[in-house]
Amino acid sequence: MGDIVQIYNDYKDHADFLTVYVREAHPTDEWQMKSNVKDDVCYAQPKTLEQRVAIAKDFTARYKFTLPFGIDDMSNAADTAYAAWPERLYIIDETGHIVYRGGIGPFHYKPTEVREWLAAKYGAVKHEVQTTAAPTSAAFARTSTTSGASSATTTTLLSAPVESKK
Amino acid sequence: MKLFLQWFAGVLAVILLAAFGALCYLAGSPKDAYGMVRYALPHMHRGTLQVGSDAPDVRLLALDGINHFHIRERMGTRPLVLVFGSFT
Repeated sequence: MGDIVQIYNDYKDHADFLTVYVREAHPTDEWQMKSNVKDDVCYAQPKTLEQRVAIAKDFTARYKFTLPFGIDDMSNAADTAYAAWPERLYIIDETGHIVYRGGIGPFHYKPTEVREWLAAKYGAVKHEVQTTAAPTSAAFARTSTTSGASSATTTTLLSAPVESKK
Repeated sequence: MKLFLQWFAGVLAVILLAAFGALCYLAGSPKDAYGMVRYALPHMHRGTLQVGSDAPDVRLLALDGINHFHIRERMGTRPLVLVFGSFT
């Protein structure tokens, strides 16, 4: 239920979404995790913007990621401004003010809180069937049900079929 | 005094060993414990933004690798959910 893609599908008629790709959390030349190897998600930390774009394209293509997408520059301006690394969620209202500031992931990355905020404003979206499938390493797809660093990369499938009913 | 120092050093060593063991357990392995200390802990309390703060504007590169846009351009008529993350 915490899947951000599912939240996007549920509320894209009411809210805008923007994914911001920031520097890698677990590149091969820093803190690589076993799950990244298992899932064949092995990248060195990009040294150029072209490398960062290439990884972003790999990600969106591999998971057929449909959310609007932007890429942080090599000065990590977005990461710095929003203290975003490794992953974080915000909601900004129509006046340009922050109305929800999520915690720093993976431990405090909680898509369910975003869902709750949207549900309070636009109504809850109930799901009759929820299907989980093969894990990915995509941080964007991470759920809030993590209990440790080693389990933090256990995710739900980005495009898991879910029947929704408003 | 010497006996006290020996006991103190022993207790300290046991505490440090227990802390390291707990960190390894939480992180998953000694390597991950190192990664947590080296990469994650320095980022745990970054940022000054609060609910009510003006959302910073940042220039981003589009996925095509050519065009740029500003986060501000995506604000205005509806709430904007910002999702920061990476592939790994």
